[in-house]
Amino acid sequence: MARGKIVINEDFCRGCRLCEHFCKQGCIEIPRDRFSPQGYLLPVFAHPEKCNACGICGWMCPHFSIEVYKLVEKKDKVAA
Amino acid sequence: MVETQEKIWVSGSPRLWFRHKSGARQCPGCHHPITERLIAEVVDEMGLENDIVLVTGIGCTSRAAGMFKFDAVLSAHGRPPDVATAIKRTLDGEPIVLTLQGDGDCISIGAGPFFNAVARAEKITVIMANNANYGTTGGQMAPTTLLGQITSTTPEGRTPHFGYPMHVPEMIAPLKGVAYAARGSVHTPANYQRTKKYLKTALQKQIDKVGFSFLEILSACPPDWHLNPVDSLKWIEDRMIPEFPLGEFKNVDKIE
Amino acid sequence: MVERILVQGNEAICLGAASAGCHAFFGYPITPQNEITEWFARELPKRGGVFVQSQSETGSINMLFGGAATGRRVMTSTSSPGWSLMQEGFSCLANAELPCVVVLVQRAGPGQGTTRHGQTDYTSATHGGGHGGYKNIVLAAATVPENYEFVQQAFHLADKYRNPVIVLTDAIIGQMAEPLELKALDFGSLPPKDWALGGKKRHADGQRRIISCGQGQVPIEPYTQYLYLMQELDKKFKAIQASEVKYETYKTEDAELAIVAYGSMARVSKEAVNAAREQGLKVGLLRPITLWPFPLQAVKDLASNGMKILVVEDSLGQMVEDVKLGVEGKGPVHFLGMLARHNPTDGGMILPGRILQEIKSLLL
Repeated sequence: MARGKIVINEDFCRGCRLCEHFCKQGCIEIPRDRFSPQGYLLPVFAHPEKCNACGICGWMCPHFSIEVYKLVEKKDKVAA
Repeated sequence: MVETQEKIWVSGSPRLWFRHKSGARQCPGCHHPITERLIAEVVDEMGLENDIVLVTGIGCTSRAAGMFKFDAVLSAHGRPPDVATAIKRTLDGEPIVLTLQGDGDCISIGAGPFFNAVARAEKITVIMANNANYGTTGGQMAPTTLLGQITSTTPEGRTPHFGYPMHVPEMIAPLKGVAYAARGSVHTPANYQRTKKYLKTALQKQIDKVGFSFLEILSACPPDWHLNPVDSLKWIEDRMIPEFPLGEFKNVDKIE
Repeated sequence: MVERILVQGNEAICLGAASAGCHAFFGYPITPQNEITEWFARELPKRGGVFVQSQSETGSINMLFGGAATGRRVMTSTSSPGWSLMQEGFSCLANAELPCVVVLVQRAGPGQGTTRHGQTDYTSATHGGGHGGYKNIVLAAATVPENYEFVQQAFHLADKYRNPVIVLTDAIIGQMAEPLELKALDFGSLPPKDWALGGKKRHADGQRRIISCGQGQVPIEPYTQYLYLMQELDKKFKAIQASEVKYETYKTEDAELAIVAYGSMARVSKEAVNAAREQGLKVGLLRPITLWPFPLQAVKDLASNGMKILVVEDSLGQMVEDVKLGVEGKGPVHFLGMLARHNPTDGGMILPGRILQEIKSLLL
């Protein structure tokens, strides 16, 4: 089960590729056939199963295009 | 399928960052917005949102004045230390005043205001984003341009004919009114976190009314370095850091 | 009981600022106004205010920018060479629409010029020494009591219009002493400074405030486009021109020749007018008090009556151009300037006798 999830804002992304460079898990790929409305090469979250929500791509993205989320089990709210 | 997981936000756009329709329009791979993220996180974590005033100068750091959910002033080229001095003193020392300037804004045209704010031991915090050139205007030589670095006004590379790069935190550390002088970078996650600590220390000097605090942040400028964003990281590591070492050059709790 | 004191012109400026509630003064030493900076250094901290000596006049004007951004009443003063250094600052203050008062104690220029009297800054003060076509309100004081009163009025006008206001005097008025009645003037109520900043906790609506010298370029509220800013400035300058013109006339009702002069030259001209009248010559004086907005209509009215106009200014001819604009070609405008000083030193003056001589040559 995935432990993390990222959401890429394709309108803001400027194709700098720092996210692909910094992701140690290899979650992010640049397929070379996806472009933003301004014409920048877009990254994709190609391997969500590998994401460990380290947050590094979110911290290092200069264009505020990536939000990183940690996925946790929902706590059972029903009293026993 | 039943949703058994919930998501907790980890990183990306911090709470105090003001989202414009057009996003952060810096050049691809610019490090100034990473510094903006760092500032937004530090201000939030230190609880300074309602007390802080940011003053920016002219250059690629100018637009930071509109990028946060707190008070800010966009002032003339080189003038943030003067404007910051006045805001701090006119309001009887109450606000926490932070400047964000480029290397040219801070130490070239801004040398007069900067050094005199140090001389008067103003209780303000100055951040100098150092990308070794005048980025906004197309990449001209700046006081921190490295020897051999090609810029649009040193087309053969900088030589001693136009002097040597300025090392600002080292230069001001011996001065009595300086409580804190450090240099960090945001080119790796570890350095991002370390520089965040430096900024917290710098602002704490102001909160504790110790003296002038200064933080230089090495910043990539891929278009004017004529490098792609990933190679710019390497240029910081291999060329900038040997010239501009990272670390704290002064950190005192009291000025006698 | 109103206190009446004998005081130097420069000190009267400071007393006016104190009466107006000036909270901060940022200054730099320059002759002949050092008494102003030194008074504030001594007295402002005692009164709970803030004094900072800056590193240069570029420092003073930019500190003024920061101080004005907080909404408190702030001021600086300088003389002509320092005035030149402040021009970029004025352009920024105009764009950011910040209220503040700047006192210019003129000394003869250009360059280092002299440290003594002159009226060589008229054009720079009224037609914007800096870039961008902004306007500063300029009040020309001619006496020590006017130094005191006009500084107070300047703070009011600055706050009313969110614009810098210049109080223009010169070395003579600055250094002379005259009796003064200390009375704080009330010019009426002003709207609250909702736009001022100093930390988000100060704002009732909890929203951020931004002050910018690049309004219209960096798209931050309220001027998201350049022309919106220029429309607002145009409206403001026209409102000031419609409402704030001030001038004084002396014996112009039946005059055949009117002298137009401001500041210390107005006082010398008044002596000449009195001497001329004693000799049966019908002469009067128009003294502009606001140099911007300039009393163009008043000048036009004088010329319409067929009056001869003589402009007296201690310069090579600056205000004379605005007078010609007001006259609109209805008649000749004569000029007597600094080349008529009684001796060629920096202490030379245009004396009443010389002006009388000029009046006679025009009327007889």
